[in-house]
Amino acid sequence: MSTNSNFSRYQRAEDFGTPARVSTESVSLTIDGVDVTVPKGTTVMHAAALAGINIPKLCATDSLEPFGSCRLCLVEIEGARGLPASCTTEAGEGMVVTSQNARLADVRRNVMELYISDHPLDCLTCPTNGDCELQDMAGAVGLREVRYGYEGDNHLSAEKDTSNPYFTFDPSKCIVCSRCVRACEETQGTFALTIDGRGFGSKVAASQDQPFLDSECVSCGACVQACPTATLTENSLIEKGQPEHFVVTTCAYCGVGCSFRAEMKGQEVVRMVPNKDGGANHGHSCVKGRFAFGYATHPDRITKPMIRDTIHEPWREVSWDEAFSFAAGRIREIQAKYGPGSVGGITSSRCTNEETYLVQKLVRAAFGNNNVDTCARVCHSPTGYGLKSTLGESAGTQNFDSVMKADSIVVIGANPTDAHPVFASQMKRRLREGASLIVLDPRSTDIVRSPHVEADFHLPLRPGTNVAVLNAMAHTIVEEGLADDDFVQARCEIDAFEDWKTFIGRPENSPEAVAEESGVAAEVIRGAARTYANAPNGAIYYGLGVSEHAQGSTTVMAIANLAMLTGNLGREGVGVNPLRGQNNVQGSCDMGSFPHELPGYRHVSDAATRALFEKEWKVNILPEPGLRIPNMFDAAVAGDFKALYVQGEDVAQSDPDTQHVTAALSALECMIVQDLFLNETAKFAHVFLPGASFLEKDGTFTNAERRISRVRKVMEPLAGLGDWEATQGLAQALGYDMNYAHPGEIMDEIARLTPTFEGVSYARLDELESIQWPCNADAEEGTPTMHIDEFVRGKGLFRLTPYVATDERTSRKYPLLLTTGRILSQYNVGAQTRRTHNSSWHEEDVLEMHAHDAEQRGIDAGDWVGLKSRAGETVMRAVISDRVQPGVVYTTFHHPASGANVVTTDNSDWATNCPEYKVTAVQAHKVTQLSQWQQEFEEFTAQQEGFLAEAKAGAEEPVN
Amino acid sequence: MDVRKLVKMANQIADNFNAGDAATAVAGVLDHITRFWTLDMKKQIIAHQRDGDTGLNEIAAAAITELARNETYAA
Repeated sequence: MSTNSNFSRYQRAEDFGTPARVSTESVSLTIDGVDVTVPKGTTVMHAAALAGINIPKLCATDSLEPFGSCRLCLVEIEGARGLPASCTTEAGEGMVVTSQNARLADVRRNVMELYISDHPLDCLTCPTNGDCELQDMAGAVGLREVRYGYEGDNHLSAEKDTSNPYFTFDPSKCIVCSRCVRACEETQGTFALTIDGRGFGSKVAASQDQPFLDSECVSCGACVQACPTATLTENSLIEKGQPEHFVVTTCAYCGVGCSFRAEMKGQEVVRMVPNKDGGANHGHSCVKGRFAFGYATHPDRITKPMIRDTIHEPWREVSWDEAFSFAAGRIREIQAKYGPGSVGGITSSRCTNEETYLVQKLVRAAFGNNNVDTCARVCHSPTGYGLKSTLGESAGTQNFDSVMKADSIVVIGANPTDAHPVFASQMKRRLREGASLIVLDPRSTDIVRSPHVEADFHLPLRPGTNVAVLNAMAHTIVEEGLADDDFVQARCEIDAFEDWKTFIGRPENSPEAVAEESGVAAEVIRGAARTYANAPNGAIYYGLGVSEHAQGSTTVMAIANLAMLTGNLGREGVGVNPLRGQNNVQGSCDMGSFPHELPGYRHVSDAATRALFEKEWKVNILPEPGLRIPNMFDAAVAGDFKALYVQGEDVAQSDPDTQHVTAALSALECMIVQDLFLNETAKFAHVFLPGASFLEKDGTFTNAERRISRVRKVMEPLAGLGDWEATQGLAQALGYDMNYAHPGEIMDEIARLTPTFEGVSYARLDELESIQWPCNADAEEGTPTMHIDEFVRGKGLFRLTPYVATDERTSRKYPLLLTTGRILSQYNVGAQTRRTHNSSWHEEDVLEMHAHDAEQRGIDAGDWVGLKSRAGETVMRAVISDRVQPGVVYTTFHHPASGANVVTTDNSDWATNCPEYKVTAVQAHKVTQLSQWQQEFEEFTAQQEGFLAEAKAGAEEPVN
Repeated sequence: MDVRKLVKMANQIADNFNAGDAATAVAGVLDHITRFWTLDMKKQIIAHQRDGDTGLNEIAAAAITELARNETYAA
């Protein structure tokens, strides 16, 4: 028998009852005559489970701390009085435990009798029939009768709550074990659930006993996963029945990269359940990864290749081969006419490593230039530049688990509860344990104050002043003698440090000097600096509020400087942690998607690296950098850049200064878009190659921890080809022989050519579950923590970080500052999440405005507001919020019609051209109709959707 | 592309390297442009500087002068 199947028979994941404990000490005990040795702190229940002895339980589950309410897991312990609960009893040295005997059996049967006396007896038609812990326990204890009868008071007529689109809450089946409440507290950290009432009246309540959708619930599903009965069940399970096999794969949403079990019936996903063994998520997830996968089978999916000569005519459905020849022909014509550098490509940060590698290979080998770039350009390219320069590697230094050893956590320009929810839950756990929290953000994001979490310092700095404030913090640390001089002397370049020290000591870098411009009081800056510097372990986490600025790269270097200054690098609990946004943006950067670097961050001018690739690829590679995305648009408008191959990116929605972007796209003579849906960019395309979702292909994603995880196919690609196969077809049509049989071969090639990936292979990934690069002879199982003995560049480099105020300043014409961000339920451009029930939470982008600014303009909540900048104008509904300070307004970019990026400008980071999304000078005023751009957008969209409809209709007619 | 864009970029790079010592700043700008700008962009800015009133600030101008010495970029 041979098979290439990744499938495992469906069964519930093993559950040891209580969390695993780590300790240097062990204890040995005997359970039912079996000797077992466990780390100190392990419970008797968990120890028994390790020995293969399964003590009956209902309120215990190994993702949650023991609770001791159901009383099923009672045991006898020699010398101890009564019947202790094995879940709350720590294993003791020399204990002798009996888990089953007649006395215990009676007690357990009595417990089950009570539960079943108030429980519906509709097992056969219940969604969790056969997969229900209550059923298991009734069977395990040998329940044969319920002596109370069924006529007494009960909860059987309790009404279902179907408010949440993804799961149903059926209180008639609830056994009030509190697992859901505890999951919402311990796992997720939202504290939305409680047990309301007492005694017989006890019941699970969401917030103020509201329907789930109206409550504080964020729909992460941890409660659904924890529930041992059918009380909290996925709607998809109710509709479809139970899965028959599962495949472990990785989420395609954010940079946390949660590992999931895709639980299947044939080629249909029944539900996505977080994988407990996931190195990044340890069995948790958010609303998107767990529930919002329906986009993959949405009717909007385009499944046939299409071409057209101009963007003002309908599409024509064609075969793959015809699409490839048409595209290749146009590319070659354009290169003949305008030069080899007149074409380029954008790799997807959502497609797999193998796929982005192939796109940059196609550009370099088949197009013959270096005009390739990726979405990191508009988000974390400053991280690449800044960390490479100071520490020597374009990536974060730790893994997520490292946060559990941090004593002081600094969050700069990041909103983790919305954008990296599973990691935020872990961070909140550490904060509840007592770590201090310092937040630098113009807004009061949720992390500043949330259940049992409150920032010790919130620095609400004015957008654009990051470098000033960070310099002031460093100034404080040096001035007050809080630096880790030993670390600096041993680990960093001394000359550079001395230059930097002189620079940072200047009066203009003091907290007092920056207080007015930044809007943060000097004492707050000093307090934050002292807290971070004095903590044994200080860890900095940052996001796009750092990078998407005119001084994004400078801010990253300032962060690295702070970490080096305080010796917070090279071990667990510390570090510089960029929260990478997309599921594979780290990967696409690693794979050489930047115009100036080959895979592994090696500059194209490096002859030795070029030779390595030239030999393998059998082509010459240009030694000069290619165009970055913003420069591709500039060149297109100037008439020098004429064709673009865009894989999985929607630049027309996500890139700034929309009118400039669409002008550029309209100027192209050939645009090839490879995507799942007709997105905004595809409306300007001439060739549409239908893409494959993460469920339809094999490959790997690399998350923000440098963790490479497998993506495993669960269904055949709807369009017939995986994305890597499409790129391959295009390459072949261009005359370049690309001929991989399986993505594993692509990874093998990457490993051959890239030292940091040398030890990575699909076989190794199957063995280790996931691998954090570098993985090679020096680190055979990967590298959770970087820069341990020395930095990748040897000695750490302090870079000078002078504060240069951005050009984007408020004026009488534009007196407010607009900053942008994301929310939990919608993802990036919303192409995926808008096609799921997640729109229940966020149907449109709104403008958050402080009451003071609203009042001055006569704006009430819900009014249409015209938002205007020097780049353009759009209209959104206003929401009055105290999360923003007076003078700052905020919106999101998840819906194309809101035109958020019509307003953002072409200002960008000096080093990388990463757009300054976070600072736009605007004016807001009440309006009565949508903006001109929005009206034109609606017309254009209707026209393009019409062209798509004609293609589908055309395909149904008989061919003459 | 529009050379005013290139001038703005060069000036911005120069402002960010300008932390005191002019020679270091010029070297920084030169290295940056060499590593990250395309051949066409480099040729274009060099040609622009040759043509006279450039809008380049002092440090950027000095860096472009240095850049022009590299034969590869001779327009």
